[in-house]
Order: sequence, then structure tokens, then C-alpha cells
Amino acid sequence: MRSITSLLILILCFASACKRAQIPTAEVNVAQVKEITLDPNAPVWEAVSLHLSKMIPQDLVEPRLMEPSTPEVQVKAITNGSEIAFRIEWVDETQNDLPGPKHFIDGCAIQLPAKIDPNVPAPQMGEVGKTVEISFWRADWQAIVEGRADTINALYPNASIDHYPSEAKPLEGDPKALEEAGLRYAPARALGNRRAGPRDQPVEDLIAEGPSTISPAPDAISKGKGVRTAKGWAVVITRPLPAGFSAATPSQVAFAIWEGSHNEVGARKMRTGWVPLIMK
Amino acid sequence: MARVKNWQLGREMSYWYPESRPQKQFAAVFDTNKCIACQTCTLACKTTWTSGKGQEYMLWNNVETKPYGSYPLAWDLNLLSLLDGQNWGEEDGKPVYKGSTIFESAPAGERVMAWRPDEEDYAYPNVGEDDCAGGIEHGASIEIPHQMAWFYYLARICNHCTYPACLASCPRGSIYKRPEDGIVLVDQGRCRGYQECVRGCPYKKVFFNPMTATSEKCIACYPKIEQGLSPQCFANCIGKIRMAGFINTPDKAQADNPIDYLVHIKKVALPLYPQFGLEPNVYYIPPIHVPTAFTKQMFGPGVDKAVEVYRNAPNDQDLTSLLGLFGSTEAIVRKWKRVGEKAIGMDENGKELVDVPFKEPVHIRPAYDKLHQITRTNCP
Repeated sequence: MRSITSLLILILCFASACKRAQIPTAEVNVAQVKEITLDPNAPVWEAVSLHLSKMIPQDLVEPRLMEPSTPEVQVKAITNGSEIAFRIEWVDETQNDLPGPKHFIDGCAIQLPAKIDPNVPAPQMGEVGKTVEISFWRADWQAIVEGRADTINALYPNASIDHYPSEAKPLEGDPKALEEAGLRYAPARALGNRRAGPRDQPVEDLIAEGPSTISPAPDAISKGKGVRTAKGWAVVITRPLPAGFSAATPSQVAFAIWEGSHNEVGARKMRTGWVPLIMK
Repeated sequence: MARVKNWQLGREMSYWYPESRPQKQFAAVFDTNKCIACQTCTLACKTTWTSGKGQEYMLWNNVETKPYGSYPLAWDLNLLSLLDGQNWGEEDGKPVYKGSTIFESAPAGERVMAWRPDEEDYAYPNVGEDDCAGGIEHGASIEIPHQMAWFYYLARICNHCTYPACLASCPRGSIYKRPEDGIVLVDQGRCRGYQECVRGCPYKKVFFNPMTATSEKCIACYPKIEQGLSPQCFANCIGKIRMAGFINTPDKAQADNPIDYLVHIKKVALPLYPQFGLEPNVYYIPPIHVPTAFTKQMFGPGVDKAVEVYRNAPNDQDLTSLLGLFGSTEAIVRKWKRVGEKAIGMDENGKELVDVPFKEPVHIRPAYDKLHQITRTNCP
């Protein structure tokens, strides 16, 4: 009996120790692993230390977010030495992934300084001469990547359309002519606006040098995957390890969350300041 | 915010950017008294520009029945209810707006005072179509004049405003006003679909395309404008209610410029909701049979004068002449003159484009055709 009691005490102590390991850290500690993953539910995340970032409304430039929404975001990070993966989890009761008038999309973003320097860029999207790199995940892109069709009926199942000139009878059987006709009525796609077209990744790479300057990054380097959890979203974003980032040279990272049902889009978002990013 | 001059308000106002007027400003005059709401303009635009996926609900041009019709639903009433104290005063004999514009009323954290239409607000292209303002008692419909049983048609396109609220609202500068003609465009390569312009435009003439996830709007058929031709909704208007052109500021008004003559000299054409503060560039000859308490809120304090001038048109040969040029040619009439009882429309170099007599000649065709020895009939 005494030995059983001792065993129970030991188990309780071990469990308690495990819980203590999940006490949030003040910084984002990047754990070194053999293989990184895009899966937010992969077991590898369980042993990684947790960072809890309090969020504030974007209230520096118009249009501002005047009512706070998402209060905090849970972050974990791993690296395999060449790539880094962030797991971001937050509470969001509503799934907003259908675009439309006054329909806004759930999303999240990570932001890193383009160069590791003691003189860090402004946390609000950088500043002139101090570029930030942003990896931006959106719920509608996730749905597209997972197979949602590029049709109006995928957005409005009861829509009834008599005819599109871009799909006129004479064009049938000529894929090139069909594509050209389709682009004629979709100028954003014709201009190569990455925001506008069908996608093969739910994440977009962007750069910025301050508010209003966000623009597509030269290369698509990020990947991602988001899943619904019982309470909201869990998203993994992977990208190459920032140049110069090592155990001896820490960096910073910042996060942003858009809650679609709260009409959050663009500058209307919840954000963090810079958080230390440390290789363990 | 910068301080800019808005001549329609008779005063300076606050705007997000400094004043920067284009080399010339696209403008138009619509005669509401001639519109029959056939929607040919709407279809001309629809088939030309918005027949693509995601554009199904877009009406860059629409015609709505006032007082109730609106697209999107209650676009004007919703904003009017937000905007306090739309009072006009007078200084040195000229009207001055004493209220606040949508820029001056912007709440904390916003660039303009505005509202967002719900998706359902786009479900009714013209709810209240042909509904008149008052009930008609039994038998009253055959008595003239009707008392308060009025309605009229308001054809609308983008106003290509001097101070566009869509442009001011876009946080990433994806909307621009062309310096060569003042046409306001959304850069489809830069837009990221924030819908701030949809919210900000008081006239609700920017639309979100859910398939491209960008916002789109009336482009004033700029490929035609560049060739000296009127936009599709003008060229196809069977009621000939529209005239396209370019407007100068009042201090530089030219009497031989059709738009300047109607807006600045005769003051018969008025801006739509000038109190919003955008200096819109589509001008309306107000309906002459509508109580001016209503039209003054819509077109500003110049309504009484405009109605008086329009009613007097039969005694004003110059005005009659110019009104006859509406819809007379697809080309943009940059200059005009009256020669006797004929109106001459010209291009910017003074080359004649069209001439229109006050009265079309009447040809009477005899019922019996002597040449072919046959009696004509009107039956098919």
C-alpha cells in the first residue's frame, strides 16, 4: 500500500512538472527538431514551450480598430536548422472564410525584421529603410487550397447564372480562348494580382516599410496550414530561417490576428509589439 | 487632413490629401426630366464591363425611382441619417454650406463618416420602382395636377469626384485620380480587397468582387473618353438625357463649354448631395414637378433657380439649343454655339461634329404613292 501511494505521488509530481513546462515564456523560444511540420496537430508541438502574446488593437493609423477583439495568441516555434515553423493558436468562435460584400476573413500573420539589427524596425509594419517580412495566412485561401471550387456557386450555392460571355459556346473546346476571355472580365487576375487568383498556398509573402506600404515579396517562401480547433484556429506557418538568426543572435517576431466576424480587415486588426525570438 | 477649396460648398473644407485638380475634369449633365428608366444605360454598362464572375450583382450604372428606389438599399438615407446639421447659409449673396461634410464628421479612428452595406442590401436593384411619394385617392389618378403623387428617375454612375471618399478611404493608396481627365480608378494590380472604399464612397459606387477579392468601380469608359467618345451609358441612352464633357472651376468657366454653360452660367444642373463634400462631377437638371423640399436636400440650394431656368427654356434659345445637343452624337461635344435656330456641337478644336435644329423638319408622306401606284398603310 505504501509503495502504491509513493507511486501515485511520483506520478502527480511528474504531471505537475509537465504542466510547469507549459507555463508561458516571455519570449518565443525556437526548439530545434529533426523535421518541421505543417500540421498544427502534430505531436512535435506538445513538447515545445509556449509563448502567450497579449494583443492590442491597431490604433496608430486610420482606419483603426476601435474595439478590441482577440485578446491573446498562443505561439510555439520549431526549426530544423534551415526552416522555421510557427504554430499560432487563438480563440475565434466564428469561422469566416467566405469572401463577399461586408464579409471579412479570419487570418493571422507573423512579422520578422528583414535584417537582424539592434536598431529594430517599428513594430507596426516597419519603417522606411527598415523592411519587415510578413507571412500572411487567410482562412479563405485555406478553403481554396483544400478544394473549394473557383466558382460563384462555391460562394453562393443557390446562385443561378444564365450566361457568362467568357464561357460562350464558340469558345468551348479552346482552353486558351476561354482563359483569355475569363481574364477580360477579371482585371485583377489579368494584372497578376496575387490576391485575386486561385491559390496553391494559404499563405502570402509580403514586405513592408511602414503602414500603407505592404506589397508582395519577390519570392513565395512561406507555406502554411490552418485548422479549426474546438475554440478557434490553429495555424502553422513555415518559412526559411531568417538570415543570421542563431542561438547567439536572437531576433524579434510580431503577430497579428484578423477576426472576420468583427469586420477586421487590412489595418483593422489586433497586433502585438515585437517579441524576442530566441533559438534554444 | 489638408484644407481644400470645394466650390460646391462655397468654402474650404478638410480632406485627406491636399488639393490637386486634374488637367481637365470629366463631368456630365443628366436631365432627370427626360429619363424614362428604360435601363438601357444599365444594360449597356453591364454587357460592356460587368458580365464576369463575381460581378453579377454589380451595377456601375443604375437607375432608381426616387423617393424610395435605391441601390444598394437606402444608400443615401443611411448616410443622411448619420450626417448632422446639413444647413446652408449665404455669404455675399452666394450659398455656403454650414454643416459638416463626411470628411469633417469622421469619427475617431476613421477617415470618413460612412456605413457598410450588408450583402442583402444589394439584392434589390430598384426596390420601390415606380412607387410615388404619396397615396393616390380613388379617382385622383385622372385628375391633374396630382398633389404630392410624384416620383422621378435618378440615373447614377460614379461621380468621379474631385475629392473622392473612396480614394481617401483606401489605406494603401490603391485608388487614384487620373491627372489627364480626373477619372477615378481602382488599381486592380494593387487592390487587396479591404472594402474600405466600398464603405467610404457615400454614393456606394465601388463594389467588391468576391471572385477576385478586389473592389471594382465605374471607369467612365476611359478607353472611349481617350478617343473623344462618350461612355457606353451615354451613347446608348435612348432618352438622350445625358451629356458628357469636361468641367472647369467656376472662376474659369467657358460659355462655349456645354458643361460649364449648364452648371456655372445657367446654373440649371446641380451636383448630387453636395453636402457630402466630395465635389461630385455628375450634375443633374432637377425634376421640375417634385416638391423642392425634397430636391433641395438632394441637389443643394440651387434647385429653385434651376427649375425656374429649365421651365423658361422655351423662351431661352441658347438653352434650348444646348439641350437639343444631348445625345445627338457619340462624340464628346467640347464646344457648342447656336446659329439661328440650330445648335452646333464641336470638338475641342472647333471642328463641327453635329448640328441639331430646334425643331426637326416634318415630312408628310402621302397615303398614295404615285410613283409605285400603291396605297401605303401603317400596318405591317
